[in-house]
Amino acid sequence: MRRLRRLLPVVVIVAGLTSLFLFGLLRGSPDRDIPSNFLGRAVPDFELPVYERYAAEFGPTFSLAEARGRPMVINFWASWCGPCYEEAPHLQRAWERHGDEVLFVGIQTQDRDARAAGRSFIDRFDLTFPNLFDGDSRVSIAYGLFGVPETFFVHADGTLQHKYAGPVTTSILDEQIGALQR
Amino acid sequence: MTARLAYLGPRRATALAALASLAITAALSFGGALAQERELDPRVFEIGRELRCPTCVAESVGESNAAIAREMRTLIQEQLDQGASRPEVLAFFQERYGDWILLNPPMRGVNLLVWTLPWVVVLLSVLFVTRLLRRWRAAADAPVRVDPEDLDRVRSELQEPLGERTSH
Repeated sequence: MRRLRRLLPVVVIVAGLTSLFLFGLLRGSPDRDIPSNFLGRAVPDFELPVYERYAAEFGPTFSLAEARGRPMVINFWASWCGPCYEEAPHLQRAWERHGDEVLFVGIQTQDRDARAAGRSFIDRFDLTFPNLFDGDSRVSIAYGLFGVPETFFVHADGTLQHKYAGPVTTSILDEQIGALQR
Repeated sequence: MTARLAYLGPRRATALAALASLAITAALSFGGALAQERELDPRVFEIGRELRCPTCVAESVGESNAAIAREMRTLIQEQLDQGASRPEVLAFFQERYGDWILLNPPMRGVNLLVWTLPWVVVLLSVLFVTRLLRRWRAAADAPVRVDPEDLDRVRSELQEPLGERTSH
């Protein structure tokens, strides 16, 4: 009994450290769970070049400040990013359904000198919402991106409702767009 | 030279040429990278070492060669050129990424645990070792209690000449 009592603190410490170790191993990707620092605040303005196929409708550059007044879905992607290929069809379908009320903007980022690869990405999925090129990744830094893909759901007044890290699906898009329209 | 290469044999000559071209490419790219970094103020790397590289695993902006880290270093340089101080540069990134970006998290909220827990563990360990040493010392100082009968037996056995004792 005495020995057991002596061993108790050691057992408690070892059990605590083991639980901490297992928690660290099994908690998945912690960066995905970190909320954006812009939650409930206005997202930063930017002005970026627009890919040629959208220039007729949106002009050679896109300014976020000028587009305010309408809810927005801002999606960051890169041509080298596998999950971005996964989510692109979902984004296009959601844009076709909600494009009248919500503006979708794609931003190719963390993908320096890859305009050609960006063009083929856009053509492959026939993305009809405007896609921009963040060549020096400055907008990515301004938005505090951890990686790609990340999607920002922005209210008409420019404040951030939600940031989703990882590939979005139709259900996530519908849910968040629904919340933007409420 | 051609004769010597021919002497080496076609396989060795090809391997030698491949090695030489590899060395030249490596030297050129390393030189290019150095030339790019040389333009940056050493303070950029000092500040960069306090920032976590967003797309890397366990690397700082000061150490990482990831494209985003290089871009962040350029951004730090631009801010320093505009007269920003170290805390101002750190605050710039903290405003966008949150406390996560700082490798030395501020001493508040849950972060306090990161700063205090190691000291608490050290203090507890010192207290534990001190207590253990005291207990050992007390045990060493205490007189050893021996049964007088046992003592007599041992004494008598010690007085017996060697070899006279039989085993049990």
